[in-house]
Amino acid sequence: MLLRQKINLLVPREFSGRAYFSACREFLRQISSGDQTQSRRQPIFLARSFDQQPCSQELHGVIAKLKTIRQRILANTLLRRWTKWFVWMLIALIAVAAVITKLAGALFFIAMVAAVGAASVLVWTWRNRPSRYETARRLDSAAGLRDRVSTAIYLGGIADHDGMIGEQRRDALAHLVKVDPRGFFPLQWPGNARRAFVLVLLAAGLFAYRIHHQPPLISLLQTTARSQLVQSILSPIVHAMEKDLQRTVALVTMKPEATGEELQRSDAVSSSDDLWKADDKAAGAEAQKDAADAGEGDQPQDQLQAPGSQEGNPSGDARQDSNSQSQEGKSGNESADDKSQEQSEQQGPEGRQSLGQSLMQALKNMMSNSPNQQANNRAAQKPSGQGTPQSGNSQQPGATESDKRGESRGNSDAKQKATQTASEGAGSQQGSKELRKDQESHPVNAVPDRVALEASGFKEQTRMKVATETGTAQLADRGLSPQQDAVVNGAEQENIPARYRFYVQRYFEHTDNGKH
Amino acid sequence: MTSSVGTEGQAGGQPLGQQAEFLAEKMAEVRGEISKAIVGQAEVVDGVLIALLAGGHVLLEGAPGLGKTMLVRTLAQAVAQKYSRIQFTPDLMPADVIGTSVVQENGDGRKSLGFQPGPIFTNLLLADEINRATPKTQSALLEAMQEKQVTVAHTSHLLEEPFFVMATQNPLEMEGTYPLPEAQLDRFLFKLRVPYPGREDLHDILDRTTQGTPATVSPVVNGTQILEMRKVVRAVPVAPHVQEHVVKLTLATHPENRENLLASKYIRYGSSPRGAQTLILGGKVRALLDGRYNVSMEDIRALILPALRHRIILNFEAQADGRTPDDLLEEIAGKICAK
Repeated sequence: MLLRQKINLLVPREFSGRAYFSACREFLRQISSGDQTQSRRQPIFLARSFDQQPCSQELHGVIAKLKTIRQRILANTLLRRWTKWFVWMLIALIAVAAVITKLAGALFFIAMVAAVGAASVLVWTWRNRPSRYETARRLDSAAGLRDRVSTAIYLGGIADHDGMIGEQRRDALAHLVKVDPRGFFPLQWPGNARRAFVLVLLAAGLFAYRIHHQPPLISLLQTTARSQLVQSILSPIVHAMEKDLQRTVALVTMKPEATGEELQRSDAVSSSDDLWKADDKAAGAEAQKDAADAGEGDQPQDQLQAPGSQEGNPSGDARQDSNSQSQEGKSGNESADDKSQEQSEQQGPEGRQSLGQSLMQALKNMMSNSPNQQANNRAAQKPSGQGTPQSGNSQQPGATESDKRGESRGNSDAKQKATQTASEGAGSQQGSKELRKDQESHPVNAVPDRVALEASGFKEQTRMKVATETGTAQLADRGLSPQQDAVVNGAEQENIPARYRFYVQRYFEHTDNGKH
Repeated sequence: MTSSVGTEGQAGGQPLGQQAEFLAEKMAEVRGEISKAIVGQAEVVDGVLIALLAGGHVLLEGAPGLGKTMLVRTLAQAVAQKYSRIQFTPDLMPADVIGTSVVQENGDGRKSLGFQPGPIFTNLLLADEINRATPKTQSALLEAMQEKQVTVAHTSHLLEEPFFVMATQNPLEMEGTYPLPEAQLDRFLFKLRVPYPGREDLHDILDRTTQGTPATVSPVVNGTQILEMRKVVRAVPVAPHVQEHVVKLTLATHPENRENLLASKYIRYGSSPRGAQTLILGGKVRALLDGRYNVSMEDIRALILPALRHRIILNFEAQADGRTPDDLLEEIAGKICAK
């Protein structure tokens, strides 16, 4: 802005490169030579010219004292500025030593910058050193001389022995004798000297450490990356990503038509509802058999996973399921069919009762989104997932090949477990199945449209699209939004209040009990 | 080296240094004489003496009964000068102040218009409650205060030097008053506020005025000596940084400069160059009264309020915010000193 004004003063109507150059040159010339107008605004700079002018003999003693004071002021200023610059260089050194592996080049560069900076500080300080007049002003201010010395220095070139100036000069000298001017300007350490000392110690320690070690910041980063804290922070994120991946794979590999048929078959068999209990009972035996069936092909996968995650995380089951589906051969499928038959024979009234409880628990889990209940749900799923990592897998291929009753039970069981492990809750699938059964028994009036909506707060749940008019359910449509479903069913409200959910839950429970 | 400092070696036959010492001694004596009649009010007395030696006039503002009139009368006795008092009222006319031409009959019976001087033809004039007169009458003082002369019927009449006006105004009873116009306010060197006396001073006042006879004030200096002192005052040197400080102070009261945020917000009209002149002249007198031969920054800071408080006109926003000229000037001075 200042430059533009100067250009406008020089060349009012045009703004060419030549005008710009001349304005820059004029500006630099004024800076280098010290413009008179600027000096008039700053009389202190003008007073520097008094350093070169002869002074009265009476003031020689004062000038000698002022010279000493000026040297001390200059020394203090240099010390302060150099310390400040030194602190910045030390910070740079510490940063370099903490990060950079090869120090030679960086140290050379920092040394060069430090030397240039120190020289610049020296030149700048010397160029802006206080003049004799400025020093006298500081002395007046420090010693309380009420501008006597500065006025005397200002008028030092005037010979007026008997006049007012001579009186003033003598008055200044008389008052200056009473004080010790050097005592007001001692050489003192700068304020940030302590900080610089601490940084020197830190830098020395860091370089001593660097003699035999690599940069500490890099080491710290590596150690942190390996630490359990970071693992504990990152593992849930990794698991969540794995779950999403598994869910996607399950949705892609699963055919909707086959799923519908499987559901119909599983609904047709009344005793297939309580396969969970049977699975729990047969978990130990299946684990042994699966270990034998899996052979060498499944073993590396089990070894890759940490024991804790394999036991506690149901997603590990699903991953193993999908992998084993692709790896196991036909023999494995046949053996799985046999197992499912055995399981169906072992089911009884206790199994039904436990399934009802499981359904209730799943519904409760579905309704609430609290982490405690999810944790309980995981804990409840632990035994089945822990002991039978591949049982569901071995049963699932048989579901597509055979049409027997026992096989269909096995299919439904495998499907339930796969979906359950993928969704961490298993409540959605079970609840959907119950819903569908209720829809079959009460096709029109039993279930209102809103009941067909799923719990919206349960984010990790795999959503099912249930067509109330046909009574069929389509599994695992992740992209299905509740809003779309609500629009299809004629209900515009997506979020069902909690009291209505409990009402629906109790309604299902009542209907289920009445049916059985 | 160019300098605005007067370098004449002698004035009045003696070296300036000796005259400066003489001034300091005599003014200390005058102060002592005044203190016989006036208890306390040291700042007001110093301000009056500074204005007297600087060649200016003083506007005293204070409640009734604080000794304003007595101060002027005592000062007149101490400096041995003629003294007159004008009680300003709404029906006072300019001719009542400066005088008028009347028909006079000479010895041979011929009649002619002759000038009859008013009470303004004196050395020390007390314009009591000046704000009760109409602006027309107030403006009659303008020429006298600035030019030291009055003009009646195309004839100018010089006033006798030293001419020193001390006007008083009462800040309490503002009904029926005419505030002084800015032009006339600017002609007063200082505007001094006369405070209430303190506890000790009040005891002293009671002792002096209710027991015995009033103290007699002796003359210390005469008019000629005062004029010589005024010349000495002008010879006091001023360092450039002190003068720069005065210039900064004066410019900082100007609302036109957008850098002066405080002035732009609260001040309608800033100080005139008379304000800067007052600061320098008053600083010189103050330095001499303090036994110094140079003006210091402390002198300037001590005179900021009496020299500038009546030269800045506040705007409506300042009045709405309850700001006074004194606190604005102190704030401005603080900012400039901090730079």
